Amino acid sequence: MDASKGQKLSGMQKQVLSLYRGFLRAARSKPAEDQRQIESIVSAEFRRNSNQVDRKNFLYVEYLLRLGKKQLDQLKSPDTIGLSSVNVSSCKNQNADT
Amino acid sequence: MATNLIRRAINIKSRVSSSTVYTEAPASRMVLDRPYASEVEAQKVEPKATGGSNMKTFQIYRWNPENPSKPQLQDFKIDLKECGPMVLDALIKIKNEMDPTLTFRRSCREGICGSCAMNIDGCNGLACLTKIESGASETTITPLPHMFVIKDLVVDMTNFYNQYKSIEPWLKRKNPPPAAGKEIPQSRKDRAKLDGMYECILCACCSTSCPSYWWNPESYLGPAALLHANRWISDSRDEYTKERLDAINDEFKLYRCHTILNCARACPKGLNPGKQIQHIKQLQLTAGA
Repeated sequence: MDASKGQKLSGMQKQVLSLYRGFLRAARSKPAEDQRQIESIVSAEFRRNSNQVDRKNFLYVEYLLRLGKKQLDQLKSPDTIGLSSVNVSSCKNQNADT
Repeated sequence: MATNLIRRAINIKSRVSSSTVYTEAPASRMVLDRPYASEVEAQKVEPKATGGSNMKTFQIYRWNPENPSKPQLQDFKIDLKECGPMVLDALIKIKNEMDPTLTFRRSCREGICGSCAMNIDGCNGLACLTKIESGASETTITPLPHMFVIKDLVVDMTNFYNQYKSIEPWLKRKNPPPAAGKEIPQSRKDRAKLDGMYECILCACCSTSCPSYWWNPESYLGPAALLHANRWISDSRDEYTKERLDAINDEFKLYRCHTILNCARACPKGLNPGKQIQHIKQLQLTAGA
C-alpha cells in the first residue's frame, strides 16, 4: 500500500509541503495573536484542498501552488499582519428593467 | 447620432431657404423652425441594412479555476453585422450578451496599452487591433501560448514583468548632468537610435511567440526584455553601458536567442526585437567580453 506521506513523495507533494512550511515560518515572524490566526486559516485551507481536490488534477494543483506562492510573498512583507477571506456567494443578479 | 446632426443641418437649410425666398407665401410652406431634432424624429429608428445576417463562429478557450476540469474550446456565434470590426468588439459583445463569465484583459481598445494580447487563429496579437476575418471559417481565440492561465484568456504575466525589471530599465549615471538642474542634452541622431525600441508596450506578444522562450521561460530573458535592454544600452545619456552589457552577457539570458525571428512577425506595433538582439550580440563582441 502506498503511504501518501512517508517515503517517495512526488515533486508536487514536496512543493505543497514546502509552501505550507513557508506559511508557518512567515506566521512565526508575526505577533502571537496574528500568528495563531494565520496558522488556523492556512491549515484549514490546506486541509480543505487536500480533501476536495483530486490528486491527479495537476492543472488545478499547480494553479493553487502559484496562487499560494503569491500570497506567501505578500504575507512575508513586514506590513502585513494577517490573513482574511471573503466568501462570495454566487448569486445571479437580475438586470433591473428601467 | 450622426443622422440627427444631418437632420439638423437639413432643418437649418430649409429654415434659411424659407427666409430668403420671401416673395412666396410663407404660410403655404410648412417648414420646421426649430433646428433641434423633434421628439418624433428621436423615436424614429434607422432602418438597418436589410438582408440576412453574417454569422461567424468563435471558438474561445475556457478554463475556470473554481470548477477545475480540463480546459475547453467553447463555440459562440456572432452576427458580424451587429458587431464592430475588431476581435475585441466580438469578445465584448459575447461578454455582454451571451456569457458574462468570459474573462479577458482589455483597456484602451486602440492598441496602446497592450492588455488584450492573445493568440488569435494561431498568431499572437492585440485583440483590439486584429480585424475579424470575414468569411465563414471559425476563429480560434486562445491565451498567449506557454503562459500559466489564471482564468479563460487571462495569463500570469509576473515572470515577464520580473524579467523586464531585472534589466533595470531606468537611466543610470555616474556623473551629474552637464547643466545642473536641467535636462541631459541628447542630439537628434542619438535620439533616433532609440526609434524602434521606445514604442514597445510590453504586450508580451513577441516573447510568447518565441519557441526559445517557451522552453526556457525562467532563464532566457525573451525578446521584449532584451529589446528594452538594448534601448537602455543605446541611450547616449546612460553611463552604465558596460555594466548593462555584462549583466546580460550570459549563456541563458542572451544567447538562448537563435534568431528564430518569430518575435518580429508577432509584434503588433511593427517592432523588430530580433534586430535589437543582434545589435546587443555585436556590441558584446566589440566590448571584448
